[in-house]
Amino acid sequence: MDEPLVRWDWIARNWDNGSPLAIRTLLENHVVMAFAPVLFGLLLALPIGLACARWRLLYQPATAVMNIVYAMPSLALFSILLSVTGLTQTTVIIPLTLFSLAVLIPAVVDGMTSVPDHVRQSAVAMGFRPLRRLLQVELPIATPVVLAGVRVATVASISLVSVGALIGQGGLGALFTDGWQRQFYTPIIVGIALIVLLAVGADLVLIALQRLLTPWSRARRSA
Amino acid sequence: MITFDGVTKRYADGTVAVDNLSLEAASGTITVFVGPSGCGKTTSLRMINRMIDATAGRILLDGQDVKAIEPATLRRGIGYVIQQAGLFPHRRIVDNIATVPYLLGWDRKKARARAMELLERVGLDPKLARRYPFQLSGGQQQRVGVARALAADPPVLLMDEPFSAVDPVVRASLQEELLRLQSELHKTIVFVTHDIDEAVKLGDTVAVFRVGGHLAQISDPATLLSEPADDFVRGFLGRDRGIRRLSFIPAADVPLSPPPPELVLAEGKPVGWKLDGGLRPYGSFNPATDSLRAALDASLLSANGLAVAVDGDGGVLGVLGRDALDAAVSGVARG
Ligand SMILES: Nc1ncnc2c1ncn2[C@@H]1O[C@H](COP(=O)(O)OP(=O)(O)OP(=O)(O)O)[C@@H](O)[C@H]1O
Ligand SMILES: [Mg+2]
Repeated sequence: MDEPLVRWDWIARNWDNGSPLAIRTLLENHVVMAFAPVLFGLLLALPIGLACARWRLLYQPATAVMNIVYAMPSLALFSILLSVTGLTQTTVIIPLTLFSLAVLIPAVVDGMTSVPDHVRQSAVAMGFRPLRRLLQVELPIATPVVLAGVRVATVASISLVSVGALIGQGGLGALFTDGWQRQFYTPIIVGIALIVLLAVGADLVLIALQRLLTPWSRARRSA
Repeated sequence: MITFDGVTKRYADGTVAVDNLSLEAASGTITVFVGPSGCGKTTSLRMINRMIDATAGRILLDGQDVKAIEPATLRRGIGYVIQQAGLFPHRRIVDNIATVPYLLGWDRKKARARAMELLERVGLDPKLARRYPFQLSGGQQQRVGVARALAADPPVLLMDEPFSAVDPVVRASLQEELLRLQSELHKTIVFVTHDIDEAVKLGDTVAVFRVGGHLAQISDPATLLSEPADDFVRGFLGRDRGIRRLSFIPAADVPLSPPPPELVLAEGKPVGWKLDGGLRPYGSFNPATDSLRAALDASLLSANGLAVAVDGDGGVLGVLGRDALDAAVSGVARG
């Protein structure tokens, strides 16, 4: 009798069985390790990106550094970090934060560049001082471009977390190693399905957020 | 009053955009800066609200040196309108107009009420208040730009080619609107344009600049047209100076004759000339509001050269013959 491709009974038994490899636990770890880097990345990318937009000379060197980090194999980054942070989630979150910076810094710079010069000039002429101009005029207008970067970084981060399985911190990635070792496909299929669902779900949430935050830009595109 | 006192602007690269400029823009009037591209109009304008700081000389606002006023505070008291309107794309029209009131700390309700009042004042439908700028036509955006500049009721208004990006019909209506607003508000307006016709139409005073930031001539429009200071100004004014000058002479004093029997009327209003057995076209003008230029135009449009004078309701007052017109026009030429 053929083994079915997906053994639903295995999923039911392993969904929430209290073990560290329970699917639900892995899913939760995955979510944490995927979103933390985007959040930290955004917090870092905002000041760095604003500085690069303000002092253009910084931008070239900053992107060069970011691209080198991006090109570095995650495995190499893990092994460097292992000696400092050990087999923890932090060891996965740090490299992923660096990866997301490589997307988010250019997004912030492009966002600031997308503010039309005549709009910036008229803000100055109305009597905005620099900080208020940044918070009330420039950042809101940059938001659609920055959010587009956040979507890319989020989806990339969700899929990259599984690499952490190499050091036992891969979230749903653990299902892949488990499945390959036992030549048992159900965990692998479950892992892929959940990661894809997570990515699509997160993207939909971000699209909704974008429509909510920037009604003026959605309307502009459809006009 | 805005006073330029020996103002020079030299940019970092050595370009002298404005060279030792001295002039006065009287309170409650429209002063137009006009001149070819690159002659320093925008630079001069922006030195008033300190978006550019002068290299030498002083600019006084009612006697006070603008350099003594903190820039943001200074700017909140000076309305500013530019060519692309510069509206904030992420704010609804009502909030765009309320920008300066918000900056000045007015409460939201009062600022919005003021914005709604201005929206109507510049001739826009209050329904547009909830829209975003991209949902408006170029002409409507430009009106919003004017409303925004007026929101905190600043005594001074700076306008940098505000109407040059819209089509001629819309431009003409925006110009009329500005003149109407000015007759109610009496702001001190400095208006920049490269279009001499716009300058002559809007300006109480016209300052003609030549490249290098030199003032070539400053005078009222009628004098500018009749007595250009030099060849540069004459060339810049272009053709038809004589006819354009007639726009500044009211037609109120022209002698009218009673309408001849050939003028066909319907309920007291002209319909045409009965000539050669047919109905031929006529031209009309209103002596109370029109200029000699309109009277001449009416004469040229009439099949028999008689300009028909009408009152505000279109009722016939009389006709103006070529001889009488000629006398009026030659009177202007003699000065
Ligand atoms: N930031 C700057 N640095 C160097 N030169 C400048 C700068 N801004 C303007 N200029 C130069 O100063 C001169 C006057 O410029 P300005 O913008 O005042 O001209 P303008 O009369 O407004 O022209 P236009 O009708 O084309 O708008 C030009 O030669 C211009 O190239
Ligand atoms: Mg200019």
